[in-house]
Amino acid sequence: MNLGRVRAIAARKFTSLKRDHRTFAFIVIMPAIQILLFGIAIGQSPVGLEVAVISSEATDIDDDLMAKLGASDALVLHDEYTSVGDARTAISEGNLWAAIVVTDSGGIEIHLDNSNQQVSSTILVEVRNALTEILEEKGVTPPLEVADPVYGDKDPAFINFLAPGIITLVCFMFSLILTTMSFVGERYDGTLDRVFAAGTQPSEVLIGHMTAFTSILIGQVSTVILIAVYGFDIPLNGNPLMVFMLAMLLGWSAMCIGMFISTKATSEFQAIQLNMPFMFLVLLVSGILWPVEALPAWLQPISWGLPTTWTAEAFRSIMIRGWGFEQTVVAGAFVYNIVFAGIMLMVAAKSLKTQD
Amino acid sequence: MAIKVGGLIRGYGRGKKRIEVLQDYSMRVERGTIYGLLGPSGCGKTTMLKVILGRLRPEAGSVEVLGAEVGTPECTVPGSAVGYSPQEIALYEDLTIADTLLFHGRLQQMLPQQIAERQEWLIEFLDLPEAGRQIGNLSGGQKRRVSLAVALLHQPKLLLLDEPTVGVDPELRYRIWQHLREIADAGTTVIITTHYIDEASKADCVGMMRDGILLAEGQPQELMMPHGHTSLEETFLHLCRRTNVKEVE
Repeated sequence: MNLGRVRAIAARKFTSLKRDHRTFAFIVIMPAIQILLFGIAIGQSPVGLEVAVISSEATDIDDDLMAKLGASDALVLHDEYTSVGDARTAISEGNLWAAIVVTDSGGIEIHLDNSNQQVSSTILVEVRNALTEILEEKGVTPPLEVADPVYGDKDPAFINFLAPGIITLVCFMFSLILTTMSFVGERYDGTLDRVFAAGTQPSEVLIGHMTAFTSILIGQVSTVILIAVYGFDIPLNGNPLMVFMLAMLLGWSAMCIGMFISTKATSEFQAIQLNMPFMFLVLLVSGILWPVEALPAWLQPISWGLPTTWTAEAFRSIMIRGWGFEQTVVAGAFVYNIVFAGIMLMVAAKSLKTQD
Repeated sequence: MAIKVGGLIRGYGRGKKRIEVLQDYSMRVERGTIYGLLGPSGCGKTTMLKVILGRLRPEAGSVEVLGAEVGTPECTVPGSAVGYSPQEIALYEDLTIADTLLFHGRLQQMLPQQIAERQEWLIEFLDLPEAGRQIGNLSGGQKRRVSLAVALLHQPKLLLLDEPTVGVDPELRYRIWQHLREIADAGTTVIITTHYIDEASKADCVGMMRDGILLAEGQPQELMMPHGHTSLEETFLHLCRRTNVKEVE
C-alpha cells in the first residue's frame, strides 16, 4: 500500500466530485431532505380522529371521561350520537373512527373502524390513559398498571423505534448510491488502465475513492443525526460520538458493496439495477420497519448477514437504552461492520484486478 | 532486448462465446528503438499492449519486459518504468490540464517541482492550451495531445503509445516523431501502434499484425526489399494474400 498513490487518487476523485456542482449539492442535501420527510411523515401519532362518546344515565364517569379524552389533540369528540346503532352507522359511513360507549354498569365499550391498526391503537391508548387517570383520582388502583419502564418512555412514540432504523437506512443507501457508479465508466474509457499502468494496486484505487467519498459521508452522517436528534426530539441517551462512528462504519460497509457492484456492472443502468436487491433487503429484513424477531426462522440468518441489522439494533441500544461498548449488541455492530467492510473491500479489489 | 514475447495466447470468454485474439503471437523489441506495430482495428494490438502492461494475463507463452517476466515482483512494469497512452482518450473530463498532470505525476511519485517543470515543457512542446483549461472543453486533437503528455510526463524507459497521432495535425505529428526519435536515441524504447502505414515506415522496426498473428517483423527496408515493393502497403497486402491462400489450403 503506497499512501502517496492513495492520496493522489483521493485528491483526484474529490476534485471531480467538487467540480460537478449539481451532483455535489444533491448528495449533500438529499439525506437531509430524506430524514426530514421521514421525521415529518412517518411514525408521529395521528391527531384529529373523529370519535363519538355515548354516555349513560346510570353512571357519572362520562363527564370526567369527556374532559380527559378532550384534553389530548388525538381525538375530536362528538356527543350528538345517542344510540350505539347511530354511532355504528356513522362509523360504517366513514364519518367516525370509533364510538366510546359508557355502559349502565359503568364499564366502557369501544366500537371501532379497525381497518387501520395505527389509528385504533392510538384511540385505545387514549382511552386506557383516561380511564387510569380517572381511577387514580378516585383512589382506586387500576387492575393493570404500566410501571416506569426500564428503558424508553411510558408512551413510546413509534418514531422512537423507527428513527434509529431510518438513520441506518439513509446512511446505507446514500453511501451505496454514491459509490455504485465509481468504476463503471473508468473500466471502459481507459482511465483505469492508465492508473494500473502506473503500478497502482486495486486496493489503493478503492481506498483512494473511499477517502474522497468519506469527506461527503462525514457531512451526510452529521446532518442526519443532528436533524433526527434536534429536529424530531429522538432521544439520544448514549454517547453521540459512538452513534457517529457507527454510522461512518456502516457508510464504509455500504461503500464497499457499492464499489464491488461497480466493478461488475457493465453499464450505469445495470449498476442501478444491481443496487435494488441490496436496498430492498436492507429496508425489509434488517429490522428497520419491523422487529427482526418477527421474521421467519429461515430469513433470520440472512437478516443478520446484513451490516444494517447489526447497526439498527445497536443504534436503538445506544440512543434509547444509552448502552455502550460493554454490551455485545453495540460492540458486535462495530466489529461486524469492520469485518464486513474489510471482506467486501478484498472481494472488490480482486474483482477490479481481473479484467475479462 | 526491451521486450520479448513468445508463443503468446490470449482470448476472451469461454466455450462457444470464446473469441481468439492473440494466437501464438511473438515479437521482439530492441532497447532504444521505435517499434511500429501496424495492423487494422481489431487485430489484437491493444490486447497485446495490455498483456505487456500486466493488465491482462496471458493464457500461454512468455512475456519479458525490461529484463524480467511480467507479473513477477522484479518486473518494473507496470510502474514508473512505463508510460502508457491508451487508444481511448482516457482522461477525466472534469479535470483541468494541470489537475490531470498533477494527478499522474503524483501517481508516479514525482515531486511538485518536477511536475511543474514537465508541465511547462509539455504544454510548450505539444502546443497545448493554458493549463487551467478543463479537458471536457478541449477539441479531440487537443485531448489526444494531453493524453500523450501524460505518457511522456515522468520520462519513462518504455513508452507504449496506442494510436497517439489520430487527429493530430501533420506539423505536430512531425514534431512528435522527432521527439520520439530523440528519446529513443537517448535509450527509451517506444512501441507505437498505428494504422497509418506511412507513419510506421518511420519506425526502426515494423511489426505487421493481422488477426492476432504477427505476419512479419523487421526494418521497413528489409520488409519491402525481398518482394521488390516500394511501399509497406504493398508488402502488407502481399503478406495478407499469402496467409489467405494458406488458410484456404
